[in-house]
Amino acid sequence: MAGKVLTITSGKGGVGKSTTSANLALGLALKGKKVVAIDLDIGLRNLDMILGLENRIVYDVVNIVEKTCKLNQALIKDKRTENLYLIAAAQTRDKSAVTSNQIKELTEELKKDYDFVILDSPAGIEGGFKNAMEPADEVIIVTTPEISAVRDADRVIGILEANDKKEMSLIINRIDPTLVKKGDMMSKDDVLQVLSIPLIGVVPEDKNIVSYTNLGEPSILHKDSKSGQAYKNIVQRLLGKDVEFMEITEEKKGFLKNIVSLFKD
Amino acid sequence: MDSVAIKGKNFLGFEIEINTDNIKNLKQELDVVLSSSAHFMKNSIITLRFKESNKQIANEAIKYIKEKDIIPNAIVVDSKEGLNTDIPVIELKNIHLLSDKQEQQAATYKGNLRNGQEIRVNGDLIITGNVNPNSYIYATGNIFVLGKLYGIPHAGYGGDNSCVIFAFDLNPPQIRIGDYITRSPEEGVNPKQQSSSVFEVAYIESGSIVISSYDDWIKLKN
Repeated sequence: MAGKVLTITSGKGGVGKSTTSANLALGLALKGKKVVAIDLDIGLRNLDMILGLENRIVYDVVNIVEKTCKLNQALIKDKRTENLYLIAAAQTRDKSAVTSNQIKELTEELKKDYDFVILDSPAGIEGGFKNAMEPADEVIIVTTPEISAVRDADRVIGILEANDKKEMSLIINRIDPTLVKKGDMMSKDDVLQVLSIPLIGVVPEDKNIVSYTNLGEPSILHKDSKSGQAYKNIVQRLLGKDVEFMEITEEKKGFLKNIVSLFKD
Repeated sequence: MDSVAIKGKNFLGFEIEINTDNIKNLKQELDVVLSSSAHFMKNSIITLRFKESNKQIANEAIKYIKEKDIIPNAIVVDSKEGLNTDIPVIELKNIHLLSDKQEQQAATYKGNLRNGQEIRVNGDLIITGNVNPNSYIYATGNIFVLGKLYGIPHAGYGGDNSCVIFAFDLNPPQIRIGDYITRSPEEGVNPKQQSSSVFEVAYIESGSIVISSYDDWIKLKN
């Protein structure tokens, strides 16, 4: 099997890299693909929590590259699907504990057995970012419709273009249709005009993400979640299917709801 | 009276430009000029600029300036041929970005220039694509951006104030042309309101950078 290494990055922190990594990894696994997700945010690990696998960690990615454990021992099996494994980041070390060559070696090894190797990159453009970029076959850039996030994404795209990583796509996260309509938030098109790389998904703002993260259940598991639906569409597109972009609109209040809200206020 | 001029240089401290081949005139004028400025020149880097026509008086000029307690760090000339001195010589023909007019040519860049990237060229620069915020473009000649210009342009790099900057959407935080610099107004920073549909040109007119629509500018030039 010749798997694919998919790196999720953003430049700026807090735009939803790990949430996206968790949802895409789980989504691909639920579609029957063999997936391994690697958290490269060494020292500030999150992906295990978002996936709800925190208390199963025994060995981590640093243990693997330092060969204090076998690769199989550090693969944490997901509790919902047979197809998903996680390699957690070490919490007591920092980005310099691994080199990009070691990560490349590791992903080459994993590509033999898995369809997708998903690398959750740390924020920034320093060593940890380079470790995540070096082995990537495809890079997904996550941004929010804020000028600071878009600027940082632009910087990252520039670096990747200079290093001939042409296979890039964009996810715009946390779009709030109400704010866009009022003109207070950049729209999808505004962002695309600046970044001009192919769009693979638009994820609406979802207040429930906080509680999903606390529960360790990514939104893709929740049927009625709008962000979950958006991630499902992205998974389909990653698998080569042509899915129409979801119309992101304001939640409409019905006549009855309007009356109820009158009394509530 | 124009045989000596002192100029502040970006990286070099001060440059004393010498425009005469008459050593007597030179000494007189140096006395005047240095009497008021010697105290702040003592601790900075000083270069002496000679022309091809007067570089033979270089050694005498250096000797005189040293007597005034100012130590020149280097001499700047077009070519050091026929110049015999113990001070380092900077040859302008060797400085890449300061080429002569006749060497100038246009360079083309296709694609978007992104945050953190920069381009430096001799001559004119033509970019087909957008120049995004936080990128920098430098040209010794004119700059033409067939796209949005949101980064920082410097046309006429090296001091050519006759250069212009053209863009489909000219909206940089700063504009630099030759020795001039200006920044955009800080009001109305909403990016949506800023973008205009008129092609614009920036150029220098009576000592300051002005921006006008391409249509107005072309009328002005003809």
